[in-house]
Amino acid sequence: MTKIVVLGAGIAGHVAASHLRRKLSREHEVVVVSPNGNYQWIPSNIWVGIGRMKPRDILFPLAPLYAKKHIDFKQAKAVSFHPEGDSQEIKPYILAEYVAGNENGTQEKVTYDYLINATGPKLNFEATEGLSPGKNKAHSVCTYTHAQEAWIALEGLIKQMKEGKKTRILIGTGHAKSTCQGAAFEYILNVEQELRRHKVRDMAEITWISNEYHLGDFGMDGMLLSYGSDIMKSKEMVEMIFEDRGIRWILGAGVHKVEDGVAHYETLDGEYKQESYDFAMLIPSFSGHGFKAYDKNGGDITDKLFKGFMIVDADYSPKPYEEWTVQDWPETYQNPSYANIFAPGIAFAPPHGISKPRKSKNGTDITPAPPRTGMPSGITAKLVADNIIGMIKNPNHDLHHKGSMGNMGAACIASAGFGMTKGSGISITTYPIVPDFKKYPDTHGRKLGKTFGTIGLAGHWLKLALHHAFLYKAKMKPFWWLIPE
Amino acid sequence: MTRRISKFKRFVMMNPIIQFFKFIYLSIKVLVIVAGGHGGTRNA
Repeated sequence: MTKIVVLGAGIAGHVAASHLRRKLSREHEVVVVSPNGNYQWIPSNIWVGIGRMKPRDILFPLAPLYAKKHIDFKQAKAVSFHPEGDSQEIKPYILAEYVAGNENGTQEKVTYDYLINATGPKLNFEATEGLSPGKNKAHSVCTYTHAQEAWIALEGLIKQMKEGKKTRILIGTGHAKSTCQGAAFEYILNVEQELRRHKVRDMAEITWISNEYHLGDFGMDGMLLSYGSDIMKSKEMVEMIFEDRGIRWILGAGVHKVEDGVAHYETLDGEYKQESYDFAMLIPSFSGHGFKAYDKNGGDITDKLFKGFMIVDADYSPKPYEEWTVQDWPETYQNPSYANIFAPGIAFAPPHGISKPRKSKNGTDITPAPPRTGMPSGITAKLVADNIIGMIKNPNHDLHHKGSMGNMGAACIASAGFGMTKGSGISITTYPIVPDFKKYPDTHGRKLGKTFGTIGLAGHWLKLALHHAFLYKAKMKPFWWLIPE
Repeated sequence: MTRRISKFKRFVMMNPIIQFFKFIYLSIKVLVIVAGGHGGTRNA
């Protein structure tokens, strides 16, 4: 009998747990440890943030599903990692603290044979002074509760606009090294469309603020993409959309402080500027959770497991942008020190960025961090589950399930407005996610055709279809596993 | 000079009949790209 512990029940954790349970017989134990009692389909948070969906539309409780599917669920947070056990416990374990129920506050050593760390990111609001969801008129859509709060504030502002108040709306990144520009991009377009629907668009000045050097960078160094019969840069595509929607933009901005209605930022030129607003949605930086790890004697071995996020089979040797290659990126997400520990999704430490790193004249790094959200999270979690199953069935298994972001396609179906007839979506696919400049030297590291963009109502329908399909899949309804990650 | 969305393109983008066929095409294309496989890079 083998015991597999999955930390986290987000996209990566839930995908790994559900595939393990489906493919392994009941003699093997699958345990999920997560402080969140609900599964949430994060890509739809933006629709909660404009009031077009309720939180209940994008989440469901995990405990009943896991009970039905024979997955042991502990609503607890990981406290520390003990990959060699300790003087009393010979098996490796995670020290977890319950956060709900009768056991709330009690700690437990959760032993394992294999560990999947899918804890995702910590939303590092503290890295930006004054940035906290719902404070200083600044909001977030990173969770459904944040998104709900954002909508309440935006709804209030729409009322004021209807009464004749001119307003300023600021949406983008809230830190010099934030990632997830895509979520902010979707949100700004949805907010703009909602203002038009409420007939108050002329009462608001909408501004995009971002740590990107170019529009359309998205933390992926931008893209050269097929657009109908044209070939254009993602920069041109996003510029065209912002011009069309009357959205102004501020680029290369490292927001470092937020006060009541004012965002302070540093530019790549080294200037310190500020932007006032009546409503803001700023994505914070992501960081690791600050876990500690100990060996069997209680010695601190955090450096063997973590480098902010978890260390995996990537090449972490520092090198300049010109020497970055796709081979630096991990393939199996296995920790090099402990072969029974894996970290798919956002939990793994990337070897470096994807976008070209840039510093301000004052030496501040103002560069988007690499995205690993959504589809790559699901794909890497499934391949980790498949490799663990292989290792259980054959101890000499060679981890042949591989999925480097340098050899993986991704789709970003960005909502640009909600509505069955008035909605819009910007569908972008990219292959590979991390540009391979050796393989595709003339097309900015990506394969044209597989890297394409299109705008229109069909994109909204597709995003809505994916919302329902992935919630169906997450609820493990009949034939759920036929839906790809 | 920033590109602009022409009136004709906007009509195509928002016409439900055209977009229905686009939806089918897009779904298949995205599925092919995304489910088209992934792998390592070091022994390629």
